[in-house]
Amino acid sequence: MSQHFVFDEKNVFLNKLRELLKSGVPQKNISVITPYHVHEVDEILVSAPSKLRIFTFAGALLGGIAGFAFPIYTTLSWKINVGGKPVVSIPAFVIIAFELTILFGALATFFGFLLFSKLPVLKQIIDPVDYDKQFVILVKNGEK
Amino acid sequence: METSKEKISRNQTIERDVLSVSEKTGSWYWLLLFFTVCLTALGFIMWGNQILTGMGLAGKNNPVGWRFYITNFVFWVGIAHSGTLISAVLLLFRARFRSSFNRAAEAMTVFAVMTAGLFPLIHLGRAWKFYWLFPYQNQRLLWVNFKSPLIWDVFAVSTYFTVSVVFFYVGMIPDLAVARKHSLGIKKLFYSILSLGWQGTELQWKHYRWLCIFLAAFATPLVVSVHSVVSWDFAMSLIPGWHTTIFAPYFVSGAIFSGTAMVITLVVPMRKIFSLEKYITEDHFENIAKILIVTSLIVGYAYIVEPLLAIYSGNIFEKSQFYYRFFGEHWFAAGIMLTCNAILPATLFVKKLRRNIKYLFIMSIFVNIGMWLERYVIIVTSLSHDYDPYAWGTWFKPTYTELGITIGSFGLFFTLYLLFIKFLPILSISEIKEVSE
Amino acid sequence: MKRREFFKLLGITGGVAATGSACSEKPSRLIVPYLIPPEEMIPGMPFYYRTTCTECPANCGQIVKVRDKVYNNQRMNFPVKIEGLPGHPVNDGRLCLRGQASLTRLYHPDRLKKPLVRKQGGKHEETVWDEAFARIAAALKESDSSGSRNFYLSGRITGSLSRLIDRFCKNLGIVRLAEFEAYSHSAIRKANKILFNFNDIPLYRIENADFLLTIGTDIIDTFVSPVSYSLRFAKAKEQNHLKWIHLEPHISLTGIRANRRLVINPGSELYLLIYLLHEIVNSEHYKNSLSPEITKLLPSSSAGTIAEKTGLKTDEIEEVVKSLKKAKRPLMITGGISTGNSSGLDAALVCGLIQWATGMIGNTIDFSEAENYSAVGSFLDVEKFSRELGNNAAGVIFLSGISQRLPEIDIKKAKLSIGLADLPEGLIKACDIILPVSHALESWGDAEPRKGIISLIQPVMEPLYGTLSAGDILLKILEQKGNEKRLTYHEYLLQEWDKTGDKKFVKELLEKGFFKGKKSGASVVLNHESVLSSLKAFKLPEVKTESVLIIAPSLRTYDGRSAGLPLSYEVPDPVSTITYSRWIAVSESKAEILGIRDGDEVIVSGDGLDLKLPVKVLRGINERCAMIQIDMLESVIPLYDSRTGEMKTIIEGIKITKTGVRKYIPILSGSTNAEGRGIIPYPEHNKKHDTVKKSLYPEPEHKNYRWAMAIDLTLCTGCSACVAACYIENNIPIVGEKAHLEGREMSWIRIEPFFDSSDRLYFIPMLCQQCSYAPCESVCPVFATYHNPEGLNAQIYNRCVGTRYCANNCPYKVRRFNWFDHKGASPLDLMLNPDISARGRGIMEKCTFCVQRIRLAHDIAKDEGRKISEGDVLPACNQTCPTGAITFGNILDKESSIHKLAHSSRVYRIFEELGTEPAVYYLGPERKENGDK
Repeated sequence: MSQHFVFDEKNVFLNKLRELLKSGVPQKNISVITPYHVHEVDEILVSAPSKLRIFTFAGALLGGIAGFAFPIYTTLSWKINVGGKPVVSIPAFVIIAFELTILFGALATFFGFLLFSKLPVLKQIIDPVDYDKQFVILVKNGEK
Repeated sequence: METSKEKISRNQTIERDVLSVSEKTGSWYWLLLFFTVCLTALGFIMWGNQILTGMGLAGKNNPVGWRFYITNFVFWVGIAHSGTLISAVLLLFRARFRSSFNRAAEAMTVFAVMTAGLFPLIHLGRAWKFYWLFPYQNQRLLWVNFKSPLIWDVFAVSTYFTVSVVFFYVGMIPDLAVARKHSLGIKKLFYSILSLGWQGTELQWKHYRWLCIFLAAFATPLVVSVHSVVSWDFAMSLIPGWHTTIFAPYFVSGAIFSGTAMVITLVVPMRKIFSLEKYITEDHFENIAKILIVTSLIVGYAYIVEPLLAIYSGNIFEKSQFYYRFFGEHWFAAGIMLTCNAILPATLFVKKLRRNIKYLFIMSIFVNIGMWLERYVIIVTSLSHDYDPYAWGTWFKPTYTELGITIGSFGLFFTLYLLFIKFLPILSISEIKEVSE
Repeated sequence: MKRREFFKLLGITGGVAATGSACSEKPSRLIVPYLIPPEEMIPGMPFYYRTTCTECPANCGQIVKVRDKVYNNQRMNFPVKIEGLPGHPVNDGRLCLRGQASLTRLYHPDRLKKPLVRKQGGKHEETVWDEAFARIAAALKESDSSGSRNFYLSGRITGSLSRLIDRFCKNLGIVRLAEFEAYSHSAIRKANKILFNFNDIPLYRIENADFLLTIGTDIIDTFVSPVSYSLRFAKAKEQNHLKWIHLEPHISLTGIRANRRLVINPGSELYLLIYLLHEIVNSEHYKNSLSPEITKLLPSSSAGTIAEKTGLKTDEIEEVVKSLKKAKRPLMITGGISTGNSSGLDAALVCGLIQWATGMIGNTIDFSEAENYSAVGSFLDVEKFSRELGNNAAGVIFLSGISQRLPEIDIKKAKLSIGLADLPEGLIKACDIILPVSHALESWGDAEPRKGIISLIQPVMEPLYGTLSAGDILLKILEQKGNEKRLTYHEYLLQEWDKTGDKKFVKELLEKGFFKGKKSGASVVLNHESVLSSLKAFKLPEVKTESVLIIAPSLRTYDGRSAGLPLSYEVPDPVSTITYSRWIAVSESKAEILGIRDGDEVIVSGDGLDLKLPVKVLRGINERCAMIQIDMLESVIPLYDSRTGEMKTIIEGIKITKTGVRKYIPILSGSTNAEGRGIIPYPEHNKKHDTVKKSLYPEPEHKNYRWAMAIDLTLCTGCSACVAACYIENNIPIVGEKAHLEGREMSWIRIEPFFDSSDRLYFIPMLCQQCSYAPCESVCPVFATYHNPEGLNAQIYNRCVGTRYCANNCPYKVRRFNWFDHKGASPLDLMLNPDISARGRGIMEKCTFCVQRIRLAHDIAKDEGRKISEGDVLPACNQTCPTGAITFGNILDKESSIHKLAHSSRVYRIFEELGTEPAVYYLGPERKENGDK
C-alpha cells in the first residue's frame, strides 16, 4: 500500500516532507521525485555520499596505466626505428595516456552511475509512471 | 516575488515551450532538411568518386599535400570545442548563464565531432585501409605508430567523441524523461527507452549530480588537449610556419573562437523561430560575446607574435615563409583572415554592439569564414613555401570534389542539427527550472 | 616444411591445369612454368645482352637487362632496362638521357606494326609484307623502263648496313644520296678536308688535355658523342686538373659545366679565333709553328677591337690567350653553334690552324679514330635532291633511318616514296608506302661509331609486332628482284663478318659486344696549298647588332628525333626546368625591355620565321639573343650556309613582339634563388650558428652496412641521364602535361638549378637523402616508412594509407604521391621492372637507393658466402651518370670511395642544421680558391 503526494511548489513540498519524517515515517520508506536536484532534500533525507568517485578514480587510473602500458608493449614487441627517436618515447605516450585516462574515467563513471542509480529500470521504460505535478513524495507500505 | 501560482505555471511553461519546438516545425523545416540532405548526399557521392578515381581529384600536389580536407577537419574539431567549453567548463565554474545555451552547444559539439571525424578518412589516399589507423591485433603483428601525431589525433578525437556523446546524452536524460511525460504512442516509447526509465528520485539525483561534475571534469581537459593534439599535427613537423610552440594555445583559443561563433549562428535563428526569447536573453548573448572578444585577442596576439619572432630570429626559412604568407600568392585569403578574426571582433568592445543580436549573428558568420581561412592559410602557405626553393608551388582553384565534400560536410552538420531540433529537447529543461528558482 | 610442400604441389597441379587451359583466348593471370627452359635462362633472374644504342649517331654500347614475362599467353623475354656497356670504347658503361629513354621507343604505343600502303583516296591502309614488296618491285621495274632516277636517302648509317645499302643501290640502279643529318658538322669536316685532307671529325681526346677551349660546341649536350666526351672530361679533371673555358652566345650544359663560361656575341667567334692565332704564332713557345704566308692572310687586330666585336672583356680575352699559351697539352674545339653561320667554315679553318700550330694534332686530337662522318652530306645535298625532285625526274625514293628533322622536301613529286621507320613522324607520314622497321633491340646488325670500332647490335627479344629490320627489308627486295638468293640479314651479317678473315673478330664481337681494330695509323699533315687557296677569298664577317635567334640542339631530343618518346618531355630541360611545352628563352635584360615574364607569349618573326611561343627568362644568355631548342620548330628551317651546307643556327634580324596572352607552362622549379639556405656550396650560415651538436636522440647504429651516396657537383653536368634511368628502373609513372602543370610530377631524382651570388649556376641532383633521423618516418601513423638496419629510409608500399604527412614533413620534398592510377598505354606496361612493385593510387613513393639492386646484391653475396663489396650495388643513377658524379657505397667500409669522399674537405650536406643526418653527401668546388675554379 503506497501513498503519493504531488506538489507544484517547492516549499510546500519540503514542508510536507519534513512533516512526514517528524510523524515517524521511516526514511527508507520515503522516496521523492523532483524536476531537478533540490539540495534541501539532502539535508532532510540524509544518506551516505555517492561512492561514484571510486569508479571514476579506478577508471582513470586504469586508463592512465593502459595508456602507457599498451604503447610500450607494442613498441617493444617490434622495435621499429622511426626517425631515430627512442623506441619507447614517453613524451609521445603521455598524450595517449592522457586521452585514455579521460576516456576510461568517463566511461567508468557513466557505468558506475548506471549501476548505482539502478538504471535502466525496465518497468519504467515499458510502462512509465509520470506525475502531473513537479514534486512528488512517495511513501511505501501505507504507513502514515 | 512571484506568487505560487506564477511559480507553478512557470515550470510547466518551460516544459511546454521547449517541447513544443518539435511541433512548430512546419513545411519550411522539411524543405530545409531536404536541402541539407541533398548537400550531404552530394558530399558522399563526391567522396565515393574520389575513392574510386584517386586523391588527384582534390586540389593537392607536391608540395601542398594537405589542403581542404585537413582545413575542414581542424575547422570542425575547433567548432566542437566551444560546445564543450560552454557545457563542461562553465558547469564547473557554476556559471548560470550557460543553462540556456548548453544543450544546443553540446549538440553542436557532438555533430561537429562526427563531421570532423569523417575527414581523416576522406583525406586518406587509400581510404579503404582506414582501419589500419586503429591499433588492433592482426596477423602482421604490426601495431600503429604511437609517435605519430596522426595517431594522437585518432585517440584524441575518438576520446572526445565518446566523452561528448556520453556527456550530451547524460545531460539529456532528465529532459528525455520530461519529454516522455508529455508524449504518446511511438514517441513515448522512443523517449522511454532513451531516458532509461529515469524518474528523478533523490537517489538518482545524488549520483547524477556527481556524474555530471565528473564528466565535466573529464571534458574540461579535453577542451584544451584535443585541439592541442590536433594543432600538433602541424607543430610536430619541421616546416617553417608550422613548427612553433604557440600552436597549442593558438589553436585552442581559435577553436573556442570559431565554436562560439557557430553557437551564435545556430542559436539566434533557433531563438527567433521557436520564440525562446524568454530563455535566451540579451544578457546571455553579451556574455557569449565576451568569450568572442577574449579569444579573438588571443588569436590576434598569435598573428602578431609569429611573424615578429620570425623577423627577430633572422632565420631565413621563417622570415621567407611569413613574408610569403602575407604578401605571396595567398595574400587575399590572409587578408580576409586577419580582418575577420582580429579586426572585426574588436568592435565588440562597444557594449551596444555586444547586445545587438543581429550584429552578433553577422559577426559570427564572418568569424567562421575567417577561422576557416586561417586554417587554410596556415596549411597551404606553409607547405607551398618551405625549405627547398625548387619545390615551391601552390594550388589555387578548388576542385569540384573538394568543394562538394566541404559543402557536404556542412550539409551533414546541419542535417544532424535539424534532426536534433525535431526530436530532442533543444534547451536544458531541468537546468532552466533550477536556475530560475 | 609441410606448408611449402603443399604449395609446391598446388603449384604443379595448377601449372598443369594452366598449360592445359592455355589454349583459351582470354589472357589469363596464370603462372606459366617453362616446360623446357632455354639454356642459361633462369626464370625470375635477369639476363643480359650486349648491343648498341641507335637513338643518336654516337652509337654507345649498351647492355640490356631482359626479364621473362607472359605476353599473349606466351612466356617471352622483354628488355626492362638499358645500361651503358662497361669497357665499350665509346661510352665505357655510361649512358645518356636519350639512351635510357630509347627503351620507350621499343614499347611506344604508336609504333608502326604493319606495312602501310597508300590506296586511292590518299589514305594509308594496313597491308601485308608481300603486297608491299610486290608494289615496290613493280614500281622499280616501271622506273627502270621509264628512265626515271631512283634515290635512296638515309641518315648516318655505318657498318654492314651501310655496305648493304650500297650493294642494294648498285644492284637496283638506285642513286644513294649523301647521308642526311641535321647536325652534319660539315663546317668542321670541310675545314679538316682543306687543312688535312681528312673529311671527318677527329676524336677529341679530352682526357689527355690540361686545358680545354670549346667555342660553341656543346660536348656535354649533343655534340657528336656526348657520353664519351663527358667521360673524358671527368678523367681529365681528375688526372690533369683540367681547366676549361667555354664560349657561347646562349646557355648550354656545356657552358655551365666549364670552369669559365664566357658569353660571346653570336657570329663573332672568328674574330677571337684570329686573334688567338696571331697570339699563338707570335708567342715564344709556338714561334714558327705556322708559315707566315698563312698568317699574313688573316688580319690582326688589337684586344680592344676584339673585345668590342665579341662582347668579351679584355681581361677575359687575356685569360683565354694566357691559358692557351701556358697549357702543356691544350685542346680546342670549334663547332656547333659557332659554325652554323656564314663565317662557320672560316672559324673551323682558323681553329684547325691553331690546333696544328699548338701541336694538338696527334696528342689531344686523334684522326686515327675519327668519328666516321665522312659519308654524311649536308643541306647542300638536300637542296640538290630537292631540285631533282622538282624536275620530276625521281622515280622511286627510299627514306630510311632519317630523323624527322629532314626539311620539307616535296616527296610527292616522286612516283613512289617508300619510308622505313618505326614511328609515323615527319616526312615518313607523307610516304606512299611505309614499312615498319624493327627496333634495334629486335634486330641484328652492327655499327661503326668511330673508325676501327665495330659495335654489335643484337636482338634481345622476338619482334613485338610483325616488323622487319631494315637489312631484312632490303634483302627481301633484292630477292624479289631476283638478284639475290634468300638470305636473312642475320645470315648476311655472318657472311660479312667472315669476310674479314679474322676469326678473332667474330668471337670478340659476339662476346664483348664490340671489336676495337688496330688503329689506321693516319698521321695528318697540314696541306699548305689548300689552306692558302681557301683563305685567299677570306673576308671578316659583319657582326650585326640586332636581335638574333639561336637555334640550339636539344638535350632531350637531340635534333628532335626523340621528341615522340614518352619519356623525353617528362624529364625537364635542366636549365629552364620546363617539361612539356615549347618555349623561347630570353635574357633578363631583354625581358625587362620588352616587359615580359615567364609564360608571356611572344611572336618571333624574321627571315621566314613565324613562331608563337611562351617565354622563359634565363640568366646568362647574350643580351641580343633569344634562344630556342631545335625541337621547338615544327620542321627544320632550311636555312643553311652556302659554303658548308651546315644548318644555320643563328637567325639574324628577328623581331620579338608580345601578344599579351599568358600561357601556363610547366616550369617545375619554384625558384632558382637558394639565398643562403644551405643548398649550394658552401652553407655559410652553418658557421655562424652552432649546428647540431648534441642531439637528444641516440646515435644512429648500423651494423654491417650503411648505404650512402656522394654527388660531386663539380662533375654533375645536369644532363638528367640519372632522372631518365630512375624512371625506367623504378617503374615511375609518366604522368603527362596536365599533371605537370598541376605540380604532380613523379620523378624520384631531380636536377635543381640554383644560382649563387656570383651568378654561377649549380645543378643539385636532389633525391631522397635517406636521413638517419628522417622527419618523415616518425609522422607516418601506420609505420609505412621506417629506418631499416642498413640505413635506408624504407617505404613499404602496401602499408601506406596515403595520409601524405611524410611528404609534408620532408624538408627536401622528395616524396611523391600517386594521385591517380597510371597504367602506361599498352605495351609500355611490358617495360615494368618486375623487381619493384608498381604503385597504385593513394601510395607514397620515393627514391630507395634502388633497394631492389641492394637486395639482389645481398642474395648473390649470401650465395657466395661473402659480404657485399664495392661496386656490387650500382643504383640506376650512379650506373648511368656519364661523368661519374654519383658515387654509392657502404660508408661503414673504410676502404670504400664513398667513405673517402664523405670525409673530404669539399663535402657538405644540405639542410644539415635541421638534424636530419642525411646520407647523401655533396662535394663542392675546392674551397681554397675564390670565384671560379
